[in-house]
This record gives sequence, C-alpha cells and structure tokens, in this order.
Amino acid sequence: MSKKYGVYICTGCGIGDALDIEAICDIVEEEALPCTTHEFFCSEAGVDVIKTDIEEKGINHFVIAACSRRVNHNTFKFEGCVVERVNIREGVVWSHPRDQFPALTAEEKEDEANFDRVQMMAEDYVRMGMARIEKVKENTPYIPETLSKRILVIGGGVTGMAAALDAAATGYEVVIVEKEDAIGGHSAKWRNQSPVSPPYDKLIQPKAPGLIRQVEANPKIEIRTSTIVARIAGEPGNFTVTLKKPGEKIEFDVPYPLPPEMRVDETGKELDHEVLIEKYKEYNEGRRDILSLDPTGESFGAVILAAGWRPYEPAADEFSNLGWGNADVITNYQFEELAAKGKVNRPSDGKPAKNVVFIQSPGNGTDGDFPFTGAITSTVALKQAKYVRDDYPDGNAYILYQHMRTLGLSEYLYKELQQDPGVFMTKGNVTAVAPKGGNLTVDVQNTLIGKEIQLKADLVVLGTGMVPATYDDPTVNLAYRQGPGFRDNELFDRYADSNFICFPYETQRTGIYAAGAVRRGLSIEESMEDATGAALKSIQCVESVNRGVAVHPRSGDLTFPDFFFQRCTQCKRCTDECPFGAIDDDEKGTPKPNLARCRRCGTCMGACPERIISFADYSIDSIGSQVKAVKVPSEDDYDEPPFRILGLVCENDAYPALDILGLQRRSYSADVRLIPVRCLGSVNVIWIKDALSQGMDGVFLLGCKHGDDYQCHFVKGSELASIRMKKIGDALSSLALEEERVAQFEVAIDDYDKIPDIINKFVSDVEDLGPNPFKGF
Amino acid sequence: MAEKFLIQPDLEFIKDIRALGGESLKKCFQCATCSVACPIAPDNKPFPRKEMIAASWGLKDKLVSSTDIWLCHNCGDCSSQCPRGASPGDVMAALRGKAIEHYAVPQSVAKAVNDTKMLPFLAILPAIVFLAVGLGLKVFGIHWLNFSPELTAEGQIAHGNFFAHWLVDLIFIPLSIWAVAIFALALKRFIADIHKNALADGTTTKEKIEIKPFLMSIGRVIPNILKHKKFSQCGENNNRATPHMMVLFSFIALAFVTGFFFIYLYGLGIHGPYSQLNPVKILANIAGIALIIGGVMLFKQRYEKVGEISTYKDWYLLGIVIGLGVTGMLAQFTRLAGFEFLTYLIYFIHLMFVFHLFAFLPFSKLAHLVYRTVAMAYNDYSERDVKKI
Repeated sequence: MSKKYGVYICTGCGIGDALDIEAICDIVEEEALPCTTHEFFCSEAGVDVIKTDIEEKGINHFVIAACSRRVNHNTFKFEGCVVERVNIREGVVWSHPRDQFPALTAEEKEDEANFDRVQMMAEDYVRMGMARIEKVKENTPYIPETLSKRILVIGGGVTGMAAALDAAATGYEVVIVEKEDAIGGHSAKWRNQSPVSPPYDKLIQPKAPGLIRQVEANPKIEIRTSTIVARIAGEPGNFTVTLKKPGEKIEFDVPYPLPPEMRVDETGKELDHEVLIEKYKEYNEGRRDILSLDPTGESFGAVILAAGWRPYEPAADEFSNLGWGNADVITNYQFEELAAKGKVNRPSDGKPAKNVVFIQSPGNGTDGDFPFTGAITSTVALKQAKYVRDDYPDGNAYILYQHMRTLGLSEYLYKELQQDPGVFMTKGNVTAVAPKGGNLTVDVQNTLIGKEIQLKADLVVLGTGMVPATYDDPTVNLAYRQGPGFRDNELFDRYADSNFICFPYETQRTGIYAAGAVRRGLSIEESMEDATGAALKSIQCVESVNRGVAVHPRSGDLTFPDFFFQRCTQCKRCTDECPFGAIDDDEKGTPKPNLARCRRCGTCMGACPERIISFADYSIDSIGSQVKAVKVPSEDDYDEPPFRILGLVCENDAYPALDILGLQRRSYSADVRLIPVRCLGSVNVIWIKDALSQGMDGVFLLGCKHGDDYQCHFVKGSELASIRMKKIGDALSSLALEEERVAQFEVAIDDYDKIPDIINKFVSDVEDLGPNPFKGF
Repeated sequence: MAEKFLIQPDLEFIKDIRALGGESLKKCFQCATCSVACPIAPDNKPFPRKEMIAASWGLKDKLVSSTDIWLCHNCGDCSSQCPRGASPGDVMAALRGKAIEHYAVPQSVAKAVNDTKMLPFLAILPAIVFLAVGLGLKVFGIHWLNFSPELTAEGQIAHGNFFAHWLVDLIFIPLSIWAVAIFALALKRFIADIHKNALADGTTTKEKIEIKPFLMSIGRVIPNILKHKKFSQCGENNNRATPHMMVLFSFIALAFVTGFFFIYLYGLGIHGPYSQLNPVKILANIAGIALIIGGVMLFKQRYEKVGEISTYKDWYLLGIVIGLGVTGMLAQFTRLAGFEFLTYLIYFIHLMFVFHLFAFLPFSKLAHLVYRTVAMAYNDYSERDVKKI
C-alpha cells in the first residue's frame, strides 16, 4: 500500500479562536502535505470532507488535529486507513485558556523576540503527529497455527461445575478435571448452604447435587475424576495440556525454574548461563523442558481455574487462647461434618451440643477474622447457628465477632437469624476458652454488653478459613519459563488473585481465568457468579485469539511485539520482565515469544537494551520520531528561550486524567510536550536520552501506582519503569546532566486535580537547574 | 467492675418483652443511633443502645434493675431514627412494664393487672367489694350503702346519703395503706438493685446509699419532674409533655382536694356537698376538667401515632385517667341536675375507678410515678451526669 498523507485541522470547540490555524497549516505545507481545515470535523459534513479525500485523492494516512483520541473514536475510524489523532483541544486549547496564556497582539507579533507558548504547543503536537504517522507500519495479525476452542476447567466443585455449564450452554466443549474420585466439591456434603436467590433469608439445600446431575447429563461436558494437570504448554487458543493421576510422576510433569539461591555462586554472583542450564537440568531430572510439547497432550483454548480450597487446619499450638486442642473446640468445617451426620453432639462425650459459641476472630486483640476467611465466615456462623436452633429448641447459639460481614443480600439471612430468640451475637475480643466442670467457659472482652463477659458452652466453633489450592501448589502447572504458577502471589496471600479490580477473573497469565474460592474466600453464590465471569472471559479469549487480536485489556489490538532477532544478545530481560510470562527462551537464551499470551503492553520493548522489539504502530522509532519532532528553541531563536519538557504519559489512567483537566479548563505549564504510551513499562530509556540530547530540559513519566497496591494495568509496568529511571541516573551523570531532570510520578485517574501541581512543580524544578547545556547543538 | 459477668440468657424474658410491645427488639444491630438520637440520655453510658442488646440477650437481672429504663421518657426519637426499625422506645417501655411487674408483690396481682383476659374480672372487682362490704354491714344494721337515699335538708342530692363517707374510707384507707406498703417493699429491693447495677456498670460515684443525701436528691429532682424538664427536651413525642403535665397536676390537685375535704369532714364535721363557690371546689373542678382534657389528648396522640406500639398497659392507664375524670365530672353534673338514679350510679362507677387507681397503682403503668422519681433521684445522687475532668 502506498502511503498518502493528509493533515486535517478542526477549528471547532474554540480551537480556531485560540490558535493561528494558518500558521499551523504553513508548517504542514512545509512538509509538502495537504492541510485541510473545517470548523466541525466530527459533523457529517466534516467526515464527508475526509471521505471524499479518501475516494478522490486516495489519502490513506490521516493526521487529524482536533479533540483527544479518547473521544469520537468511531467517527474518525476509516476502513483501511491509518489515523493519528493530534489532541489540540483537551491537550492544548482547553487546558491552556487564553485568559491565562494570552495570545500575542498584532504589535507583539512584529517583534521576533516574542513567542506564543500555546501556539508553539499546538504546532509541536502537529509536527509530532506527522512524524509518528510516517513510522506506522503495516501489520498482519498473529493467529496460532492450530486453534482449539475447548475449555479446560480445573476443579469440579460448584465453581467448576457452574463454569462448565455456562460455557457449555454457550456452545463450547468443556472438560472438567477433578482430583477427587467424584465431582461435587466440599459443599455437596453439607447439611445446608446459605441462600443464593431471593428472599435470601432461609438456608437452602446444597446446590452441588443438582449441579452434578446437570453436568453429568450435559453432552458438551466431559468429566475426568482422579485427574490433575501435569502441565499446560503453549498459548491461549493453542494450549497443549498433559493430564495425569494424582501422585503419578511423568516426564511431562512441569519443570520448575531454579530457585534464586541456586542461581548464584558462594559469593552471590550470578552463575554463567551454561552452568545455569546444567543446574536447571539436574534440578528437573526426569522432566522434559517446557519447550518440548507432549505429542499426546490435549488441545484447549482457555483454562478456568476453579481448584477451590481446603479447610484451614490450625497447628497444634495455634489458638491456644481459644482452647484449640480441647476435643470440644472444633473448626467450622468439623462442625459442618458433624451437622451433616445429624443432630450435633459434642465430640468429647456425645452429649447434645445445646450451647454453642461460634468464635469469628482469633481474639487476644486481633481485629481481623481468622486467616483465609475473606468475608465468608460470618455467613457460615449464621448458618451453623441455625443448625443449633433447628436441632434443639432450647439451644443457644452465640456468635462472637469482630466483624459481622454478610455479603450482598445475605444481609437478609442475618436479619432473619437475629429474630431467633436463641441466637445471640456480639462484637468482642475472646481472651480465653477453658474447660470447667465438663463444659467450657468463654471469656470475652469489650463486648457490646459489657467489658468482660463469660459464656458457658458445650461446644466452641472456630470460624477458620478456606485455604486456596494455589497456596502451596501452582495447580495450573504452566510450562512457562517464568515458572508454573502465578508470580508475586504472596501479594495476595497466595490466592490466584490480582489487582485487576475491574477484571476480577483475569490472572497474570492470559487464557487462565480464576474463579471461586481459589481467588478469595467466597460464598457459593459468589463462586457461581465468579464461574459465569470466568466462563465468559475464557470464551472472550478463544474468540479473540482466533482473530489475531489481543484479549484484554487492549481488547481488539491487532499489533504484537515484533522481534528483530539478528541483533538479540540473549540478555533475557524481555523473558524475565514480561508481566505475563509471554516469552519463553531456548537453551541459548534466545527469546521465544508466545504472542497469544501477550497483552501488548510493550514492557519488552521498554526492556530491550538493543531496541529490537517494536509494534507496527508503536515502536522505538515512532515514539523516538515524535520526540525528535519537538522543536526545541535555543538562544539562537530567542533571547530567553522557553524550556521544553517531555512527558511520557500512561494512556490508561494518566492520559484520561489529563483530558479531564482539559474538560475542566484547568491549566498546567505550556512548555511540556506529552506523548501517550501504552504503559510506562514500554518506555525505553532511549527516548529519554533522545530528548535530552536534542536539548530538552527535562523528562517526566506519568503513570500508575506501583508496589503492593499497584494499579498498573499491566501489573509490573510502572514498577519496572521506576527501576529503569533509577538506573538512568548514571547515564545522565556521564553526560554531565543532573539526575533531577528525569522523574516519575504516580497518579490514579481520580488524581487529575493533582496533575497541574505535579507538572508545574517539575517544570519549575527543572527551570531552577537551568537550561539543558546541549540546547542548540 | 473487672469481674466477669456471666451471661445466662433468659429466653422467657425475651418472649415476655416481645409480647409487651418490644416485638422488634431483635432487629437491633447495635449501631447506637438511638443513643446518639436520645435527647435526654446521659453522656456516661447512654441508653438505650445497651438496653437493646441486653434485652435481645435476655439479661433480665440487668434490665429490671436498671435506672436507665426509667430515665427514658419515651420521647420516641430513638425509634423514629432507628435504621433497623427496632423501636428502642417501645422496647424500653416494655422493659419498664416488666420491671414494675418484677418488683410488685404479690406477683399474681401484677400478672393479673397486666393481663387483658383478667380485665372483666378486675373491672367488676370493686363493685363486688363495695356491695360485699356495704351489704355485709347491713347485716349489722349499718346502712352505709343506702339504696333509697334521701335528699338533704336543703333538698339537694348528697352522694354521701347513698354511699356513706364512712364506707368510702373504710375501703379506701386500707387500700391506700396497701399501695404504700407494696411500694415500700418494692422500693427497698429496687433501690438496692439499681445501686448494685450502677456499681457494676460504673455509673455511680457512691459506694453506699446514704439516706439523707438521697432524700436531698429526691428534693432536687421533684421540681424538675413537675416542670417536665426532661420530658420537654423530647423531640418526637414532645407534644405529650403538656397533656402529661395537665394530668399530673390534676392528680396532685385532686389529692390535695381529697386531703382538704378529709380534714373538712372529720376535723370540722362539715358534710358535703360543698358550695360550688368554695375555692377548693373550684380547684377540684378545674383539675377534673384538666384531667379529662389531658387524658383525652394523650389517648388521641397514642392512638394516632404511627410506628409506636401501644399495649394494654398503656390503654389501661389512660382508661383509668379518662374514666376518673369523666365519671367524676358527670357525677357532679347529674347531682346538680337532680337526676337521682343516674348520679348515684355514676358516683358508684366513679368509686370503682378510684378503687382501681389505688389498688393497682403499684402494679400498673401508673407506678412509673414512683419508680421514675426514685430512679431520677438515684441518678442525681450517683452524680453520673457530673462531668469528670
């Protein structure tokens, strides 16, 4: 396709009033490109102008200088054309109103020593847009050679069964693997469960048996009991899965990466590559490397991880203040087992348990609930209190809590049980459980009734939690170079959870969707809802991979990282740093990208010291050209040239926040030039070096919060960027530049009101440092 | 205070409170909006939040001997602001009913007075007593109950000729003693219990109850009670303060009138009926009218009040108040109008109401007159409201 360019400048929304449009057109025409203006480009008439140019002049690359690219996306989308949106509305005119940034008067214009900062800003942005569009390459979507749409569900409890039924109902073939010899999970064995539908005020029969029947009757669902996953190799849409019996040892058991302590010698120095390879082979004796595919493996398109939980078993010396170790002090799980057998009797002497105390928090000043409880154990205690009352009309059930948490409409269950005269609840700190005359006494402090109370109990039940299957077992056993499980799971107490608040089922591994109690402590109702979410996500996955588009969060993105392998030095940074484990490597260390695992954040592009990784429309070159297109005025141009500051802005939160500033007509320095990036992780330090070496005075990165409560949409991007920014200091001092010229700031989308101060403070700090000495060279 | 409080829920108590108008008590989720909303609760351990949980846990001993249920004036602000519809005000009222029942002896009378089913029997009980005593005396030739009464020398109707003042006093003096004795017994236990409770709760600065300072506290609270100082701080049921004051002052005035004429009769030997221009008679008439108006207003306010539960104990007391006033005034009007039979009949009924007032005072809601006064005095004595540095 031959490229034919056109630049279109909208003068509506106050743009034409604030800017000298003719001057901008002159710049465009200097580049020998046609410049077209219209007072209302997003109108039908405006769009017709563009469409006519497509048909009559054959223009296929458009630079549209108007509003932010975050609005009117579909209006300016033309089949087969490349469109670069230059944001001169929110980014220039609206955020730099003329009452604060006055235009030059006719008289002032006479004197060449005067300049108009806002006009300069708009002109630079148009230059940057023209520079970038030139670099956009054609792109052929990546589609795996063989595709499978089958969905693998790991775990046959309520979550797994519900997910399988949902996926099957949509027409997909599902295989459930269950490590036990029967599906159903824990709840199939219970007496009752908490309600899942209105009016939410009565206990119901467990849903599991009904689900078992439905799953067994569904022709699209295949059940494999006594089966676990040995390894999942490949990529979404094309996973090769090896299944095995629990306890079996097979050659396709997944190999583990070397633990960090085995990667170094006695002095703490990283071992040579060859030695590491040998050690790795030794460490994984009898297991095939991740790159060797199991020829008998089964194909799947996506995986739903519903491996569930196991009851928390307190250690022998744990909870001694709660009398743990006494036969009549049991966990809620043990109580459930007793209740399933019939009327609840005491384990010690078999006498009826009429006075039962349910303890929800470890006591002795602990504010939280027991470990791994999520918010579910309050509801469990309510349910079990009801068992006591059902079994014994003269029974008393006491619930001692620090937090009474009933989720959603389960509040009605709480309300209903409150009405029961034999159910007593109070907040309180349990200090001691002690045997007394064949019974137990429970001492509680700081209750709603009084400072110190004592209760008599036949039985004490501890509201212990649900330990996720991923606590000590990767479960998914991914044949990924980064390891078989999810990274950084300690952040989430080893639940298969993430900080993807808006996308709860997405894990750090594309194509693997977690649901139910493996994700956090959930009720059956929530788990089933989770199952639907994960089923839909897995369908989204298989229906995206087959069209060569990214699954999420850049859904529909056709581009992918392209490696120029001739120049690769096998440094493995991309393999290590990819937040999604998308890149494996071979024995030599050459990266092997698995593009369907990729989320297109560009972290690899930012990581690569050789700059051999780029996307068709987002590359080292395209952003670099934009940086270079910024006109940096020097003393040759003006007596007191304005500073030029580059801002690389994360497009997920920071860039929308800047648009909000524009909408609110709130201003920031007009000397900054902002470039949106996919993620701060994709920022390659070469752009910063380029900016500084062409005389720009400072560079800042504006992106998401990192650390334990990271908000980065790509998990690691902003964190990696901050590491790289720290390292860039050395490079700057070798150029005799101050480290303070480069900075990184964290903002969330709702921090927009803080951005003007952040930017202005940085600009003034840089101004204090003085102009970049390279200016003008 | 550091002693552990052993909790033993009394399920029967919970059932009783629910039946006495505290049906909603278990809806409470202890947010304490009530204690914040209450215009008259003390800052130190305010009510009714703690009473709500104690009630839902069936902690009878803690509640019946609580001063706080009596410090509550049933403003209703807590109930109207309760986010859960737990109506703390109604629960507190039910608790008071239960406390009266708890301290009154004999218990069987207390149970009967608060039992709707016993009303027909209790209603005619005074008539039975009057007739039994009156007719019994006739056997001995004493005609204090005269079914064919004569007019006075001036040709006026005299109720005393039908129902002799001797008979009235023969019945009502022992009844008064009975009421006072029962109260005395109840208060002895009550004061000891609330003190013990206050010590446990840390709402008192005093170790022991000393008679003299305690009496001084009573002296201090009575003017406030008469002024309805607390009652008029109420939000929701503020409009009840004035009619309540009318009823209270009417009772006080009528007690004074009764005492005055008692002296008039036995001291000076002057028999009724007394002149309508007699200042004491004028006071009696004003009080009678105020009693009716106040009683009817309270009845109307309770009847029209949405969201508040009024139970038998409330209607019984209002019935007595209105009945006393109406029959008292009607007896006088019919007497002046010369309707002989009618006026004797109404007078007889009036005396039946008076019988109820005296006989069941320690058992009915009217006992709040005594318990609340004592509780408020105790609160004053305990110096709970005094801000500590």
